[in-house]
Amino acid sequence: MKRTYLAVAGASVAIIVGACSGSSTPSPSGGGGGGGTAVKVGIELPMTGGEAPNGVPTANGVALAIDQIQVPGFTVTINQQDDALNGKHDPNQGAKNLQTLANDSQVLFVVGPYNSNVAQAEIPVSNAAGLMQCSPANTAVGLTKGDAAKALRQTNPDKIAYVRVATTDDNQGAGTADIAYNVASAKKAYVLDDTQTYGKGLADGFTDAYTKFGGTILKRDGVPDSTTDFTSYVTTAKSLTPDVVMYGGVTTSGLGLFRKQMAQQQLATIPFVGGDGIVDGSAATASSFLNIAGDGDMNSYGTVAAIHDIPNPDKFASDYKAKFSSDPGSYSAPAYACTQIFLQALQAVGSGVTDLAQLREAVRAYVADTSHTYDTVLGKVGFDANGDTTQHTISYYQYDSTSKDWKFLKQRDFTAEPVQ
Amino acid sequence: MTAMGARLQTPRAFLDRHQSLSILLGAIAVTLILPVVVLLPPFSGFGTQKDFVFGFADAGVYVLLALGLNVVVGFAGLLDLGYAAFFAIGAYTYAYGASNFTGLFVPFWIMLPVGAFVAAIFGLLLGAPTLRLRGDYLAIVTLGFGEIVPVVFLNAETYTNGTNGITGIAQPSWYGIFGVNGFGFTNPWPYFISIVAIIAIVMMLLYRLQDSRLGRAWVAIREDELAAASMGINTVTTKLLAFSIGASTAGLAGVFFSAKLSSVTPDQFGFTVSFTALAMVVLGGMGNIWGVTAGAFIIYEIQSQGLKQLQGFIDSLGIPAFTLGPITIDLASINFLNYQYLLYGLALVLMMLLRPEGLFPSRRRVRELHEATPDDDAIVTPADDI
Amino acid sequence: MTTAAAAEPQAARAPITLGRWGTPIGLAIALVVGYLLMVIGAGAQGQEQFINALTIGGIYALIALGYTMVYGIIELINFAHGDVFMVGSFVSWWLLTTMGFSGPINDPVVLTVVLVIAFVVSMGVMGVVGVVIERLAYRPLRNAPRLAPLITAIGVSFILQNIIFVGISNSIVPSPQIIPNPLLTIGPIEIRLINLFVIVLAVALMVALHLFISRTSLGRAMRSTAIDREAAQIMGVNINWTIAMTFFIGSALAGAAGVVQGLYFGVTVFNIGFQAGLKAFTAAVLGGIGNTTGAAIGGFVIGFIEVLAAVYGYGRWSEAAVFSTLVLVLIFRPTGILGQQLADRA
Repeated sequence: MKRTYLAVAGASVAIIVGACSGSSTPSPSGGGGGGGTAVKVGIELPMTGGEAPNGVPTANGVALAIDQIQVPGFTVTINQQDDALNGKHDPNQGAKNLQTLANDSQVLFVVGPYNSNVAQAEIPVSNAAGLMQCSPANTAVGLTKGDAAKALRQTNPDKIAYVRVATTDDNQGAGTADIAYNVASAKKAYVLDDTQTYGKGLADGFTDAYTKFGGTILKRDGVPDSTTDFTSYVTTAKSLTPDVVMYGGVTTSGLGLFRKQMAQQQLATIPFVGGDGIVDGSAATASSFLNIAGDGDMNSYGTVAAIHDIPNPDKFASDYKAKFSSDPGSYSAPAYACTQIFLQALQAVGSGVTDLAQLREAVRAYVADTSHTYDTVLGKVGFDANGDTTQHTISYYQYDSTSKDWKFLKQRDFTAEPVQ
Repeated sequence: MTAMGARLQTPRAFLDRHQSLSILLGAIAVTLILPVVVLLPPFSGFGTQKDFVFGFADAGVYVLLALGLNVVVGFAGLLDLGYAAFFAIGAYTYAYGASNFTGLFVPFWIMLPVGAFVAAIFGLLLGAPTLRLRGDYLAIVTLGFGEIVPVVFLNAETYTNGTNGITGIAQPSWYGIFGVNGFGFTNPWPYFISIVAIIAIVMMLLYRLQDSRLGRAWVAIREDELAAASMGINTVTTKLLAFSIGASTAGLAGVFFSAKLSSVTPDQFGFTVSFTALAMVVLGGMGNIWGVTAGAFIIYEIQSQGLKQLQGFIDSLGIPAFTLGPITIDLASINFLNYQYLLYGLALVLMMLLRPEGLFPSRRRVRELHEATPDDDAIVTPADDI
Repeated sequence: MTTAAAAEPQAARAPITLGRWGTPIGLAIALVVGYLLMVIGAGAQGQEQFINALTIGGIYALIALGYTMVYGIIELINFAHGDVFMVGSFVSWWLLTTMGFSGPINDPVVLTVVLVIAFVVSMGVMGVVGVVIERLAYRPLRNAPRLAPLITAIGVSFILQNIIFVGISNSIVPSPQIIPNPLLTIGPIEIRLINLFVIVLAVALMVALHLFISRTSLGRAMRSTAIDREAAQIMGVNINWTIAMTFFIGSALAGAAGVVQGLYFGVTVFNIGFQAGLKAFTAAVLGGIGNTTGAAIGGFVIGFIEVLAAVYGYGRWSEAAVFSTLVLVLIFRPTGILGQQLADRA
């Protein structure tokens, strides 16, 4: 009887799953060079649920690059995977997706992931499979630097299969500290974080650099990311009378709401500094930090972990808009850059090679080689021995009330001018 | 029972008497048949065999969770809504035992019983305060624990490395058997076979338990606690044992999970995990060990594969847009991935309305639900084939 | 559901033996203690934090009332209730945005009219939604084992979330805050108009509910159904109608909380329902499930715990603090603060 149940179970699986016959993943096809070896670039991003606003514009950046750039002798298409499970990015799903991508012999390169804790689960896999990953958005320090990073590369500790075009949170945190201390001339800070990897890392980076500059941290606290009621934290800010409030986190953790509540309690005169988690569109963009903070927009500062003076920013935006009928997301350009890096590497190593396994390793070795640089939409990009981008530039932005948008202030290259 | 039932008695009776044998046979069948099934169409269109086998290894983790929760909810009737806490404890135990964080590298196979034991201890600790509580209060307290444990792991940074979690966790190893040493990240077969073996052993143990005095004590407590106590059953120890044995299974699952993923972070152990395990137990057939196993596997596969494939299915059908009065419905333009939650919710609701005893209920449960005095509004379905 | 006064006959368990003054005195003591804790932790801002706690507590209390009413009458943990609150906030968002408002309305007459419309519509719509959910998803399972409607409730929760997610927005939606924001000074107390509004509204609705349950025939029907459904049926109570009305009122209160969410916070998201529902449910259990006064008190207690956690610098731990309080109260006083013995069950 129990065997019959197993058979019934198996049959049910067959019937249910079998009802969905069809291709495995929806793959937006990209234009490639006429004919040639068919290869794929993998996308590993959160595409559904509450994460869709993060992942979808980023994936679009890759699609745009495939569309616009041809590599002779190769037809490049996309193998898209989604690491959101039940609406939230899931490290286990990410690792599985990367295994799926690794098993697909045509995939030579992966763009992703978006979230640092998903990267933690994926780096061991890409390292074991020798499949190069380029993240447009991960900023956690421990993914590339230090012993933690080496431990992640369990199978081949000296082989780099993970690079990123976003610089790390120690630099970005230093950038926010620079804004707070030097631009906003604030000597005392109230620091909050949203208890998640990115937000906490950023706030830690801020604290380190800010104290080096000579500022004082009045209070440091964490706010669970599901919070909507920030009134108690805002009132605490009132009692501390800081010169600046720094909040490490993303808009979906409620930062816009926090700033709005600050404004409601007449505290909008206190400058507010955040990282690239809040530089996500103008006040007209739905659900962006500026849009939610409303009156709190004034005196707000943000950073972006990328160079500002990119060649042709308007062209990228208009190309994106023409293809996708919406504005590019914050990470569309970095994803585009990752894809450019892949295509340039493919061009460099691929001529005449048709063996896919060979191609994959050749691409990986080329990108891991620190002597190579790439012309991307972000400017000239290279990678160091850890896989971090050589662009350690953080751009500073301030809210501008005339354009109701973030306006570029200045940028600082933290390799050239590190914080002492 | 109907004549149909009588005919089905004999093979079932045989397997009832030889449970361990049937489990062994089932395990071997699963190991051999499942990987072959996925080579056939239509499954072959969804992914490679390797992908599927990786998926089976993950499904196995959830099967273990469902089996353990079945002990607490199905056998003993204690509603536990925070089961993921024990899963987390098992996972972090292995992380402490086998990573750079502590510097220890205890072998996986030794950590399995250690993780189970640690989780069992916590099962006792978290179960003890709930002993006086009635059904729903018990559920709330367990829900509370299920929320507290991940928050502790998140914020106790010095001990747990906070939100970044613990990485670089050592992989299991077969020490040269079948030519496999460390499991690595690209070969799913050792994981698959190991988890099937673990599940088989757990199932055998659970069957022993079910038929033992303890198992019968659980049934007694589930049916009527007062009567059970007056018949001399020590309700305290019985309940605590239910909690700790259930927790130990979650501990096993946790150890395997963190070994496979090689990293563990606090955000992977939220209410969703607890609820998924509960849904698997209820939908699979509470109290029925095989039922829960099959149900967990089916639900996991649907959740991780089926809904994602629905999009491809609809696309491939190529149904043109059609109009229903003022509304135009264009199926091709609907992104079904966005409706995952909706479909999942609908499936849950419909399942409960139509077949609340689950897909493969135990006979006792069917009797409970379908021979109950009909009420004005209860849906009474004809007695199903078992 | 019973009133605090009816808890007296079970005085064998309840330490509150001051008769009908027990609850108000306990409440007053709790308020004073809460206030002192705030002042100690936050100094000059203590009063403001106290008001913050009362406001958020009021919102939790409104949601908790619906939970406790439903549980009292059919012993179901309605996990979809938090999402009823969320949908209510979207109904109010839609209404206010469609009527063309985006900021504070300064004309008191217009403001009052708009508020009344917003509340009536949201509460009405959510009440109806609650009744529909009950009819479709819970009534068929009234005699099924306890787990079945629980799973169904979570299924309904997923469905509601997804409808908003796909139909309206998958991220944060700003909602018009039509109540202006002046700082009022009433005697020694400084309070913002919006906080005052929320607190007064919450208390008023709770009092209205209390009066309804204790004075009207429908309220009596609800109480009797909660105590013994079969006996009530024998006495002529229409069970289906009574339960439907219970859901209507509970969901309407959640709808009111949803309007308040939009007015007070100025935003709403599709996923606020789960967290808010969980905390509100904690509040209901804390106060004694089935007891509406208890649910109200529980809501305020939860609000206080959250604010105190932030005041004392333990913001990270606020969720753990809320649930730990729940666990501790249930361990030492299993039936909640206003100890409530429900109908005898095995």
